[in-house]
Amino acid sequence: MGAYIVRRTLWAILLLLVVSFLTFVIFNVFPSADPAALRAGRNATPALVHQIRINLGLNKPFYTQFWIYLKGLVEHFNLGYSYYNSESVKSEIFSRMPATISVTVGGFIVWMLIGLPVGIVSAIRPRSILDRVMMGTSLVAISAPVYFLGLVSLFLFAKGTGQLQWFGAAGSYVPITQNVGVWFNSLILPWFTLAAAFAAFYARMTRGNLIETMHEDYIRTARAKGLRESVVITKHGLRAALTPIVTMAGMDIGLLLGGAILTEIVFNIPGIGRYAYDAIVNSDLPAIQGTVLFGAFFIVFANLVVDILYAFLDPRVTYG
Amino acid sequence: MPLLEIEDLHVSFKTMDGVVRAVEGVSLSLDARKTLGVVGESGSGKSVTAQTILGLTRFPNATISGRIMFDGHDLVTMSTDHLRSIRGARIAMIFQDPLSSLHPFFKVGHQIVEAIRVHEDVPRDVARRRTIEALRSVGIPSPEERFDSFPHEMSGGMRQRAMIAMALALRPDILIADEPTTALDVTVQAQVLELIQALRDDFGTAVILITHDLGVVAQMADDVVVMYAGRVLEQASRETLFTEPEHPYTWGLLQSIPRLDAPRTGRLSPIAGSPPSLINVPRGCTFHPRCPYAPPPAFETEPALAPSEPGHLVRCHLPVEERKRLWQSLQNEHPALR
Amino acid sequence: MRRPIAAVAGVASGVLALVAAGCGGGGTTSGVQGASHTLAGGKKGGTITILSNGDVDHLDPGAAYYQFTYAITYVTQRPLLAYKPNSIQPTPDLAASMPTVSNGGRTVTVHIRHGVKFSPPVNREVTSADVKYAIERGFDAAVGNGYAGAYFGVIKGAPTKIVNKVPSISGIQTPDKYTIVFQLTKPSGIFVGALQEPLTAPVPAEYARKYDKGTASSYGDHQVATGPYMVQNNAAGKITGYTPGRQIVLVRNPNWNPKTSWRPAYADKIVFKEGFDPTVGTKQILSGQADANGDFPPPAANLKQILSNPSQKSELEFTPTAGARFVALNTQKAPFTNKYVRMAVAYVLDRNAMRLTRGGAIDGKIATHFIDPSFGNSGFNQAGGYGFNPFPSANNSGDVAKAEAMLKKAGFKSGKYSGPQITQVADNTPPGSNTAAVVANSLQKIGFNVKTISVQHAAMYTRFCGVPKNAPNICPNVGWIADFHEPQADLDANFDGTNILSANNVNWSQLNDPAINKLMAKAKGELNAEKRWAEWGQIDKMITSSAAAIPWLWEASPTLYSTRVTHATELWNGGEPDVSFMSVK
Repeated sequence: MGAYIVRRTLWAILLLLVVSFLTFVIFNVFPSADPAALRAGRNATPALVHQIRINLGLNKPFYTQFWIYLKGLVEHFNLGYSYYNSESVKSEIFSRMPATISVTVGGFIVWMLIGLPVGIVSAIRPRSILDRVMMGTSLVAISAPVYFLGLVSLFLFAKGTGQLQWFGAAGSYVPITQNVGVWFNSLILPWFTLAAAFAAFYARMTRGNLIETMHEDYIRTARAKGLRESVVITKHGLRAALTPIVTMAGMDIGLLLGGAILTEIVFNIPGIGRYAYDAIVNSDLPAIQGTVLFGAFFIVFANLVVDILYAFLDPRVTYG
Repeated sequence: MPLLEIEDLHVSFKTMDGVVRAVEGVSLSLDARKTLGVVGESGSGKSVTAQTILGLTRFPNATISGRIMFDGHDLVTMSTDHLRSIRGARIAMIFQDPLSSLHPFFKVGHQIVEAIRVHEDVPRDVARRRTIEALRSVGIPSPEERFDSFPHEMSGGMRQRAMIAMALALRPDILIADEPTTALDVTVQAQVLELIQALRDDFGTAVILITHDLGVVAQMADDVVVMYAGRVLEQASRETLFTEPEHPYTWGLLQSIPRLDAPRTGRLSPIAGSPPSLINVPRGCTFHPRCPYAPPPAFETEPALAPSEPGHLVRCHLPVEERKRLWQSLQNEHPALR
Repeated sequence: MRRPIAAVAGVASGVLALVAAGCGGGGTTSGVQGASHTLAGGKKGGTITILSNGDVDHLDPGAAYYQFTYAITYVTQRPLLAYKPNSIQPTPDLAASMPTVSNGGRTVTVHIRHGVKFSPPVNREVTSADVKYAIERGFDAAVGNGYAGAYFGVIKGAPTKIVNKVPSISGIQTPDKYTIVFQLTKPSGIFVGALQEPLTAPVPAEYARKYDKGTASSYGDHQVATGPYMVQNNAAGKITGYTPGRQIVLVRNPNWNPKTSWRPAYADKIVFKEGFDPTVGTKQILSGQADANGDFPPPAANLKQILSNPSQKSELEFTPTAGARFVALNTQKAPFTNKYVRMAVAYVLDRNAMRLTRGGAIDGKIATHFIDPSFGNSGFNQAGGYGFNPFPSANNSGDVAKAEAMLKKAGFKSGKYSGPQITQVADNTPPGSNTAAVVANSLQKIGFNVKTISVQHAAMYTRFCGVPKNAPNICPNVGWIADFHEPQADLDANFDGTNILSANNVNWSQLNDPAINKLMAKAKGELNAEKRWAEWGQIDKMITSSAAAIPWLWEASPTLYSTRVTHATELWNGGEPDVSFMSVK
């Protein structure tokens, strides 16, 4: 197992390098804005643009720029400075992490708490009215775009602007350290909006997995031993059915930690997703690089964790 | 007084393609301490019959009628709660593939402990000790270590032994073994059968042994039932079935067994054709499309299961004398059948 | 020039044609709906909240160059001149009185007020040296001021080569603590007007030098204020009130002396909350959770709703943005080297359909030349007002017949263009992409085969239209907003033939007409305002008639207020709310 982890980690580093390089290439090859010109302003003298270009290191060939970027990253963990407002990209990302973590973890809890029970109940009574209603609803939830759901939920429930003024309005997010109550209230609508599609997806997956599992021979054996049906379903059935679900959830968390962009935009939550969106709009390469790198890192890391977790959950899986 | 008596059991399943009549009018009885062999091809209804005893076929799309009398109660109409108290404790079952029949995520020892503790309120360590003893008694070496093994870490033979240990841990009155050796190597098969025999003798368990392999039945069964298309075609003691079988299907089964002492140039003689669909059962005798001797009535009416001698039931239109004569001539053709 | 509000892609701004018609005919101020502008007698106290979608560009007054940022800069910093909300003519702010021009326009003298103090932690009185340092640091690449060269390059000793160092400019003299004397290399008609730029807001050298070192100045993160408000900071001077992309908090500047200023500064605190989706933000303003919009207009759908609701309608103000949207034709590349071909385009473009891509009549008036109505009598009327339209068509939908007549004059006997394919580089998102589609459509009617290359907005400017080498035949999505209401700031950069740069070029038509250049040179040195405005009006007519670029929209910005606050709209700054004049009711 140890050797396996080491090997995976090395591959992960290589992958992050490649991702980083590709971002660099895309930004330099495809027609994107000239950061020096953007920074200088439209009325600027050529002399100013020229000097700013030198200051930003843009006069060097792009592989040199990439090398400099890598050196800064590896030696000082320096992710560069935003072309847009000169702030340190690393500190910007770190200051936004708590918000993204809040959205992700909360959303995860909500979607598991909804999705799993719905899936289980549907699996126990397949093709019943309850099952059909639940699966139909989940199809709708999966299909509705986050942006649409978000705006609808704000319209219905947001304080100040909604029909029923129950929950925090867009932009009301404060860090948990500042005010737990307001923090919580501001995240309820985003959590449910984000969770809607995921819960639906997980409900369908759980249902499918559990139905399949319940047809396995060992379930028949469990019944033949005289176990109560509830024990057969939960201890024997779910244990096997949920293993792939848990690992999938790990991957989804990894993905979302890179920033749930649409949710953060609609609800105005200052997370990494929002930062990435602004960076793209402003052609801010260092910020784009930073968010891509972070996103890739979380996905790769989550992938690794999930694979290791799987080995613990399923005794048949071993890693050489 | 039989220990278990199945009377006119009918089991059918509603499916998208039609109604599958898996078991049609099967009646069996099992005496205490006896072994009943149930023989038939795939789809003959033998597994469904066995599973129905324990109520394992109670699906929403199933229709079950008839009676299964055990200990004065009818298992067909018994509540699932009551049935659960019987499962594993009074009647236990082992299945064909021990790898898929044991839960892959739980240690083998744990699964046996579970089987014990669902019926007896014993502390964990007591159950553990009993489990280790059970593993030892089925011939598994180093049972204390094997307790912590996962199913996939054991060989096929060892797994089946563990299943047997689990089934017999609570000393049930009846053990139903559904094709216990089919998934095993030939050498291991013999060992497992011997084990079942030994335990049967030690604990006095009645056994229902389900198989498609007449050779297995020849070793262990006291009485044999031959099933086909959900029906019993012949029922007799082992002795009678192997020396004086009276159904063309049984003859065909006996003929198709490969034998070590048969000449090498001799070809295998399987029964021509394949088992019928259980949705569209053929009219008349269900076996007639494959029967070389089918008389005209076989095409129209289903024969009844009737005794040709006391204790020997046959479902065939051919007259008894005709059957005996045919069997005689078959034996002359194939000396191996003697 | 200042980045206009359209930082949010795909956003429509709007004005009622009625409004412009009502006020635009030749007044000094124009277009602002005469709503509740109670600029005097407001209640002191309270907090005002302004919502925005994006962030400011730079808090550093020496680098700020964006309409939205100016809503903060002008209430925290005091340039030599500034503006009252309803006017387009500057008023002395740090200056004690309007500057005096002498020596044939080569010397400009400004006296600054006594008793203006820096906010904590600097605390001392502002002197002329602080203004000198402020302007000088604009020429340091570490600060990177975008207009320093354009407006202050005319000062003697201003550097032509830009390096990472604050230069010492000999032409900025400080004979005493309260006097600044500018020595110019030549007379400039625009120099006095440029003194309203935030670059002239004082910066304390002894405090700022350490932050201005290196390749990127961090003074913005440690800035001190001279205005009635300051960005919240700690005792050491580090800004604590700015969370990038999130919010900016302004608190009162304890060292601001109201007797030295005409700003009433009613509110105690102003919070700029950033990152709002325009639809969501508009709803919040309507429900009173926030007080005005900072950098996004309410979406067209919401505007229509608001206009149909009388109580909401009175909270909406429209401000003409000083400039126009136009389609630039590359005059250095065939076929648009030929003026008749250009005129054919000017005739055929369906300006009405183009305006529809931005929301229709709610968005502004169809532009017929370049200086827009907000200039009033300082250039708009002189350029012919609403009456000057050399390429008229019914309903502004384009006139195919007249276009074909022009093509015939250009040598296309059939009246249809039969030359090679032409290209345009356009925005890849609406509404710009839709506008470009209308342009292509219109041109097809007279035989053009137009290939459209769609790129990101900023890339369109910095990599294609702004680089003559890469410039296509048509740049359909360009426009200009004047930095301040001097016609030179509206026309010079875009149409001066001596102003064509190899990169970051904004003379997108690459117009290099000797007659126009000559008149521009004259007007640039014209110190008499009336004469100057007349000359620029003439220049506008000449440019329009040359069809080097075809103007099509004089846009206006909607500002939506909550019912909680009084209105104070910056006419000089494209409709930004003036928080130093607003008060909680």
